[in-house]
Amino acid sequence: MIVDQNKCIGCGICTLYCPADAITIRLNAEGKRKAVIDQDTCLECGNCIRRRVVKCPADAIYELPEEERSIGRRMRRFFSDPSTTHPLTGVPGRGTEEVKTNDVTGRVCRGELGLCLELGRPVLGTDVREIQKATTALAELGVKLEDCNPLYDLLEDPVKGTFKEEFLDERFVSAIIEFTIPFERGEEVLNKVREIAEEVNTVFSLDMVCCYDEDGTIPALELCRNMGFEPRFNSKVNVGLGRPYVIDKEERDRRNAQ
Amino acid sequence: MTHSLHRRGTYEELKDEYLLLVTIANGVNNSPDAKDKLRRVLDEMWDVGPVNTGSNETGTILSGVSVDEIKQGFTKVPRIRCCFDSKEKIREMLRRLIAMDLGVSVTISGSRSDVEELCREFGIKPHSVNLSLQVWGRTEKLPEEDIMKFITMCGHGLISRTLVEDTINKVKAGKMTPEQGAVRIGTPCVCGFFNPTRAVALLQKYVPAAGQN
Ligand code: SF4
Ligand code: SF4
Repeated sequence: MIVDQNKCIGCGICTLYCPADAITIRLNAEGKRKAVIDQDTCLECGNCIRRRVVKCPADAIYELPEEERSIGRRMRRFFSDPSTTHPLTGVPGRGTEEVKTNDVTGRVCRGELGLCLELGRPVLGTDVREIQKATTALAELGVKLEDCNPLYDLLEDPVKGTFKEEFLDERFVSAIIEFTIPFERGEEVLNKVREIAEEVNTVFSLDMVCCYDEDGTIPALELCRNMGFEPRFNSKVNVGLGRPYVIDKEERDRRNAQ
Repeated sequence: MTHSLHRRGTYEELKDEYLLLVTIANGVNNSPDAKDKLRRVLDEMWDVGPVNTGSNETGTILSGVSVDEIKQGFTKVPRIRCCFDSKEKIREMLRRLIAMDLGVSVTISGSRSDVEELCREFGIKPHSVNLSLQVWGRTEKLPEEDIMKFITMCGHGLISRTLVEDTINKVKAGKMTPEQGAVRIGTPCVCGFFNPTRAVALLQKYVPAAGQN
């Protein structure tokens, strides 16, 4: 985003709302207070131009038309502004619908685990170099990254988990590394996640999708606890009302093959 | 994505908070009548009485958007997001969703054991769960827990630490009520998951005692 220096009256409202602390008030050559957005720090989250959020009294904040924005800046927007929809996924947001539609997509069926490492969340944000530390470490295990995720588009080599050079310095509010593994690989992958936590210079929120067993238990709970990854009491439960319903992976694979 | 997950707070603070997500799956059950189905869900949800709702495209009722605007703003893959502040309300909403039998995916974010109990009550079997396995990495760089409780009400990361701190200071100085503060902090949340009821409760402790200001 950019501040029109002629319009800005230096009220400072916008500085409060920027989650990246990218906006500062400076005195210009004439000694007038003006807001300035640091382009390296701005993540293009859109807060400052949303008419119901900052409500800039001088209507001074704007963005360049799409065709004049670099691909890097457009990518920042996809990974930072939830009101944008990436053409690859067709849904708003930074990842798949994970558990939200899992009863009909069968993305994670019984006998499988879905993992999400959301780099940069909460608060700190992330650049692509940090994401790459995690994706390359996971690639060493042969983990296949979710291809219906906007991150996939930025990869140079999905097998190695490396990103295209031109994106490495881009920064996002957060990006979600998603993948599904057989349940038996849970221990090995969680050990790798622990190593990644030591390596990255940001935070990540970790979550795991798992189906309920027929008797209403969650097999992943014991695995997580044994590995020292204590699940929080608050979770997201897909209550299973969607159709066509799928929970069995053979059935899912049959359906997908049709 | 997982924006309703990873909320900070104790069970006592979070036990009355239920986030409802009704979602159509792109390419699976995105039938021509999907928008109509979700409009019906939206009407029922509004009747039950959420404390917040919205959409990424329009913004939230907390920031001044009307329910009709949210309805008009449905995209070709429509979805509903809202926040209830009691177990009774989510129970009633779930009862209505089961009765409507629309075949759309319904996810509830909240205390896992309480949601499972509701499912048992209605005789339905939950399909799958997304477990929050906490935050990892350089956690020492994060703001203190009291600030995190507000910030994590927006899983999209749109609530700034500066806004929360400034609002707390205004409440402490008696320049803003907790109700005004909750709306101010919750405005950047675009999907409608920010819970103003819990935010008011969290801000209460900063209200100066009578005669202090
Ligand atoms: S809100 Fe608008 S007028 Fe006020 S400082 Fe920011 S850009 Fe300038
Ligand atoms: S777009 Fe977001 S990150 Fe960039 S200056 Fe505006 S509020 Fe800050």
